[in-house]
Amino acid sequence: MKTLKMDIRGQVCPSSLLLVLREINRQHRDLIAGHLRMVILTDNRDATGTVPEAVRNMGVDAVVEKVGGYYRITTQQLKH
Amino acid sequence: MDFSVWIIMSGLLVIGAAAGFLMHRSDFCMAGAFRDVFLFKSYKLIRPLVLLITLSALLFELFRLTGILPSYPFPWFAPPAGVNIFGGMVFGLGMVLAGGCVVGVLYKMGSGNLMAFIAFLGLIAGSALYAEIHIWWRSLAKQTSFSTQAVTIPQWIGVSSIMPVLAFVAIGGFFCWRWQRAGLWVNKNEAEGFIPLWLTATGLAVLGALAVLLCGIPMGVTTSYAKGAALVESWIIPGHLATLPYFTTVPAHLSLPVDGILRSGGAGVHFDIIAIVQVPLILGIIGGAWLSAQLLGEFRIIWKVPFNQVTMVFAGGVIMALGARMSPGCNVWHLWGGFPLLTMQSLLFAVGLLPGAWLGGKVLQRVLITAA
Repeated sequence: MKTLKMDIRGQVCPSSLLLVLREINRQHRDLIAGHLRMVILTDNRDATGTVPEAVRNMGVDAVVEKVGGYYRITTQQLKH
Repeated sequence: MDFSVWIIMSGLLVIGAAAGFLMHRSDFCMAGAFRDVFLFKSYKLIRPLVLLITLSALLFELFRLTGILPSYPFPWFAPPAGVNIFGGMVFGLGMVLAGGCVVGVLYKMGSGNLMAFIAFLGLIAGSALYAEIHIWWRSLAKQTSFSTQAVTIPQWIGVSSIMPVLAFVAIGGFFCWRWQRAGLWVNKNEAEGFIPLWLTATGLAVLGALAVLLCGIPMGVTTSYAKGAALVESWIIPGHLATLPYFTTVPAHLSLPVDGILRSGGAGVHFDIIAIVQVPLILGIIGGAWLSAQLLGEFRIIWKVPFNQVTMVFAGGVIMALGARMSPGCNVWHLWGGFPLLTMQSLLFAVGLLPGAWLGGKVLQRVLITAA
């Protein structure tokens, strides 16, 4: 499985959501098939709600973990 | 300094700190509230703003009815003018590009966000820029004044404020109740220490009401950004500063409820009534957000940021400050203070915010997506 890492820490709001939505649209097929996972690093607290919600709306699951002083959101194949 | 002034400033510092703490925990972003309606068709952030305005309207009207409001409507609000809409539009554009409104920038800055600090510098620069066009703008504002001396809608239609305000509260309350029934107050946010948006909105309404009780006017911060601009100019171009009427006049007058002494103030460098009622709030919001971020271990300055975003955020700060001065007043002053009183200036400002935020969303999308 390939991993696409996106470090959006320090960027202006709502960079996290906009950039993640763009990548999901680009890589949607691979994400759904489980060939690709995205790892998003963000310090935007709101993104821990908006990004997983947007990702799940597009048929992909997401896990949020706090790492140090920021958050890591990892996409994964939705379990049916 | 008088003891009473110390009391007021200490109280406002605590109110600001509590507000900053809550805003950081919930990421309570008023810029995002307007932006996301257009950018993502999301109403998640606008709902708590409706709750905040509705609760504030109820509290302010209760204060008026019980006679503890020293002045009604609040001092410094004026009859409406066309510039209120235009100022709101410019402000809306600026706050979206800056990534936060005039207090959003403060709580984000308090949590170590470098972009918010750049927007803050933009706010100072924009205030300095406005001082250069103040005389011309003031005459334009007079020309666009509506032919009424009424400040609020109840005054304009010639009735007591109780029925219009209660009708407004009933409508706002109805929507909040509908959202509650639909489960829309549940926020799926996984940030540590997250406080639900409805709870923060309620807390902010109470804090805003306490600020009114303390100093007789609602919260506001932007004239102190102009003071910051005046301070910088006093260091580098003091001769020019002395020629600018915006910085040399003291148009604002206020009696603090605690001692009843009439004090004056303006955008100049002096320690005056503007500094008394605004600077503690600014410092409090930054400090409260800093404390919240420290307790969560989230205070961190990220120095590596995209240059195009730095430029956009600084420009957003400049534009937002221009809008705040042109209107006159910021989103906090109008939405948290004037709107609940059905002040016409504030309603026009809010109308202007909508196209401004829409345009800001378009530009933001272009900068973040196209240039990424």
